[in-house]
Amino acid sequence: MNILKLLADLSAVDPDSYERISGRRGVLASLGQTGRRAVAAAVPLAFGTVLQKAYGRRAATIVDAFSLALTLEYLESDFYTRALASTSLVFPGNTRTVFQAIAQHEQDHVTFLQKVLADSGVAVPAKPKFDFTGSKNNTRPALYADVFQNFGTFLKVAQLLEDTGVRAYKGQVETLATDNDLLEGALRIHAVEARHAAHIRGMRRTLLGANVRNWISTRDEVITTPGVTDAVYAGEEVARQGLIDLVNYFPTDTSQILTGTKEQVTISLGEAFDEPMTATTASNIASLFIYV
Amino acid sequence: MRRRSFFRVAGATVAASTLVLAGCADDPVAPDLSTPGTLNLGSGDIGVLNYAYLLEQLEAAFYQKVLDSPPTDFTPAELAAFTELRDHEVIHREFFKQVLGTSGIPTMTFDFTSISFTSRASVLAAARTFEDVGVAAYNGAGKLLTTKATLGQLSKIASVEARHAAFIRDLLQLSPFADVVETSGPFTGAATALTPAQVVEAIAKFTPFLVIIADLPTS
Repeated sequence: MNILKLLADLSAVDPDSYERISGRRGVLASLGQTGRRAVAAAVPLAFGTVLQKAYGRRAATIVDAFSLALTLEYLESDFYTRALASTSLVFPGNTRTVFQAIAQHEQDHVTFLQKVLADSGVAVPAKPKFDFTGSKNNTRPALYADVFQNFGTFLKVAQLLEDTGVRAYKGQVETLATDNDLLEGALRIHAVEARHAAHIRGMRRTLLGANVRNWISTRDEVITTPGVTDAVYAGEEVARQGLIDLVNYFPTDTSQILTGTKEQVTISLGEAFDEPMTATTASNIASLFIYV
Repeated sequence: MRRRSFFRVAGATVAASTLVLAGCADDPVAPDLSTPGTLNLGSGDIGVLNYAYLLEQLEAAFYQKVLDSPPTDFTPAELAAFTELRDHEVIHREFFKQVLGTSGIPTMTFDFTSISFTSRASVLAAARTFEDVGVAAYNGAGKLLTTKATLGQLSKIASVEARHAAFIRDLLQLSPFADVVETSGPFTGAATALTPAQVVEAIAKFTPFLVIIADLPTS
């Protein structure tokens, strides 16, 4: 086992891993002197335990990954179903047809995930109660009071939910790596969520004149609220991919292969890779629309 | 050992890439480009990465050719968007080049003679093919990988390709999800996926060389 390589890989996928494993409050420190000696003596064996300790509290099992995914799919499915049923929401052009297709996909994803969980012998989580205004059933001020009356508000929330879905699935693919069938299912659902997000972004631009691209860009107009929904895109802009530093790789002013300055290249690098989101962040975003 | 002689010893077969990785890490995987021209993607995660690298090379070369002489009926907004698409694909291409290092396939030259670059419709139709095939290729490639970090990395690119594909479909005013989302079977509601064999066939007219995938993982 190449520990350094493993650490490098870990830091590539989880920037916090170094701190979590070896930082002051990390696992290596918590092992104490004896533990550290044991690690040195039997690194491959001990390292697995260390990793388990460091990550064990996270949603690291396949069941957890699919339960999270099911919550998000319940959320999206219910969101579109209610939007299509709203008598005060006007869908311009052919957009109702598009959203009917999207709603069907989300229902299909719910069915797929429910089956996987049921086949695994796990109790399938029930659908939570949703309030898409974000008022938690009128117990706090609404975030999106006219979500099912105003097409612009509806599209904004749809974009936030779909982009969250893409990042949340991406955050779970490595957990699913050991099970080819589930991995393939998750990856393929993930690609559909990305298509949804891109079409919804396109609708905002072409129908409503919003400054937004089909891909996530720091050049997009900001539609998140600090401290409330900004987690949807937090960390999405990173330009550096693991150990590969393309920021300082591309020529700048006289570039023949990429347009623009180093600043613009950095923006393009952020756009060219969609970043994962942790299970905790995804759950927190979902909980904005869930009440008990 | 010099590259030439190494490959004479190794037989320049697909297995060569494994040997290179195992024992001659400094030697590049030199594909056999003798007539009729073959490109061996190699085996294991390296092979899958080379597969993605080939697709990104193809996409980047296509968009660059569009930008070199854009269709006259492209709108300024479309031209700006295609510039961004080109930049993304160049970034993906160079990312794989850096990740693969000496294990990477060389820079390939493609055959775009089937595309009429003066026609917006022809360019968009080709872009749709490249993007839809690209997404489906990534959808099918994830399970072929064994390294988790590599899997995570490919998924970061896959969803951006899906966004590109959706954008191109919008420009073509196509039904957004026809033929790219399953409507029956166990993967109903999931995106279509293609195997490397299906992808190589789908892009065959653009690759004036034989792409050998025999050593790629199959699961």
